Amino acid sequence: MNQPTPSGGSRNVQMARSMCWHCQSEVAGEYFCERCVKVQPVSKETDYFTCLGLPRRLTIDPAVLEAKYYERSRAFHPDFYLNKTEAEQAISLDNAATLNTAYRTLRDPVQRAEYLLDLEAGSVKTIRTSPPADLFEEILELQDTLDAYRAGDHSSETGRRLRARLEAERGALERRQAEMEDELQKLFVEWDALQDRGEADGHARMERDRLLRRMREILSNRTYVKNIVNDLVETIG
Amino acid sequence: MAYSDKVVDHFNNPRNMGSFGKDEEGVGTGMVGAPECGDVMKLQIKVQNDRIVDAKFKTFGCGSAIASSSLATEWLKGKTIEEAEQIKNTDIVQELNLPPVKIHCSVLAEDAIKAALADYQKKAGSKTGTGSAQ
Repeated sequence: MNQPTPSGGSRNVQMARSMCWHCQSEVAGEYFCERCVKVQPVSKETDYFTCLGLPRRLTIDPAVLEAKYYERSRAFHPDFYLNKTEAEQAISLDNAATLNTAYRTLRDPVQRAEYLLDLEAGSVKTIRTSPPADLFEEILELQDTLDAYRAGDHSSETGRRLRARLEAERGALERRQAEMEDELQKLFVEWDALQDRGEADGHARMERDRLLRRMREILSNRTYVKNIVNDLVETIG
Repeated sequence: MAYSDKVVDHFNNPRNMGSFGKDEEGVGTGMVGAPECGDVMKLQIKVQNDRIVDAKFKTFGCGSAIASSSLATEWLKGKTIEEAEQIKNTDIVQELNLPPVKIHCSVLAEDAIKAALADYQKKAGSKTGTGSAQ
């Protein structure tokens, strides 16, 4: 997930979140200094959930997300800064860009989960899951069938048989995709419940790790399955 | 993005594509995947008297991933286990002239080599020593 890179103009005004870049007074409000009313840069450390004023939860009501996004978009819209200083224009533009990325990321459940995993467990690689060997074998075998089908005569007996097999495989894989989506949704609910309980004992930590690992696993497997399904759809329609 | 000539060559004429039986004598299998892009790679070695006499691969992924694993099997043939362990992803990057966005393909190939070697050693170990297996 790419962190927004502030343009050169705002880098020198990016400072401690708590201090206004303009009048140096304490900033208590979210994005504007209460004293001089100048717009404040969204800190690079601010995660996308905070950026949109949401708790770090995986179950998000799309309507709420959209409302928050529009509300903040209005505050940063570059059109409102046309008569302001260059520094303010740059900040509003950066903020708007960050906001857009935050919104796009959180809107999609999969990207949202990927992002949360990044936040909670560092980079994707830090959660090691064992490669799903069975799934890999299945994918590679299916690829052989695909190659054979592509190379052969589609109207021949063999061609029709291969096609029937590929169609059956596609159906099975699509069902598997749906199952993975379902499980992901369930994990979202479990994750949120764990956060809401706010426990920090050993059991809660184990549960946290289990949920993160399982989410990582499903997201990875989902990518593998998606790729082969795309190939199938491309070949047999 | 344009692929280098070597990548295109390996892609069009992949060397050693295929597979050995998993339980065949002296065969080590490495199965790895890149969750970021969904590429899947299977690399197998066949070892006789501590030397890799044959290698095969199957890769589901982009041209660079196919080229990386194809090249890896070429390099593996004739090497001892110790020599094979020395193959680095950077060697593959250099040989194939991979651009930065495709470096992860070479990493995948290195991971596959390591996994195949580990699998072979595990099998060989569990067969000779009845308890001293590493």
